[in-house]
Amino acid sequence: MKHGWLVIACRHAHELLSQRMDQPLHTGDRLRLWLHLRICAACAKIERQMDFMRRAMRRLGG
Amino acid sequence: MQADVLSRSLEALRPLLLKMARLQLRNDGWAEDAVSETMLAALESAASFAGNSQVKTWVIGILKHKIVDQLRRGGREVSVEAQMEAAGVDSLDELYEPGGHRLAAPLDWGDPEATLSRSQFFDVLQSCIENLPANMGRVFMMREWLEYETDQICKELGITPTNCFVMLHRARLRLRECLEMNWFATERGA
Repeated sequence: MKHGWLVIACRHAHELLSQRMDQPLHTGDRLRLWLHLRICAACAKIERQMDFMRRAMRRLGG
Repeated sequence: MQADVLSRSLEALRPLLLKMARLQLRNDGWAEDAVSETMLAALESAASFAGNSQVKTWVIGILKHKIVDQLRRGGREVSVEAQMEAAGVDSLDELYEPGGHRLAAPLDWGDPEATLSRSQFFDVLQSCIENLPANMGRVFMMREWLEYETDQICKELGITPTNCFVMLHRARLRLRECLEMNWFATERGA
């Protein structure tokens, strides 16, 4: 699929996934990421992995 | 809690405390100092330790505060290093096609709780963090272990918000690759 205002590449989706862990995304980015995660199973997997890494880090060292 | 009982617990915890302090501070001298201060503070407040939480959890909590103090004291040095490293951040190009698609499909990581119950997993996680460049590791640990807000990290280290986000993003992607390769793609993680 061609990338445009609404449709983004996986690389960009990963940037947004990471950024979202540090600050709220703007509406446009939220929309683009939401859509991407619904049509890209690989990125949806990476989203779950990012959440998992955060949980693991909170438990590091007990 | 009795001081003699507590000092035995602290003795046993010292390797873990040092490992965590080194992982966050990336400086052996600072790590030693932070751990000594932690042990002193724990012994001084032994009487106030209620004993209804685990000693380990309580002492790690003290260590986090001592590490924050140490980061502040070492602030200028860290900040200069962080700026130099941020200027030369590595490329992520090897992970993607020119069009922005990932070159390799991510693996399924299975049941998170099952993974988090394995102590060997945390050994792999630690070595993956150790493999990050020093400041990238520091920033990542500040965000995810000390649970600083991103703007606090920028302020403490004197780096721009953009550099901060870039370093965190790279740290997460590198860590993801490292965990996948050294845990989830191996027998241990299966």
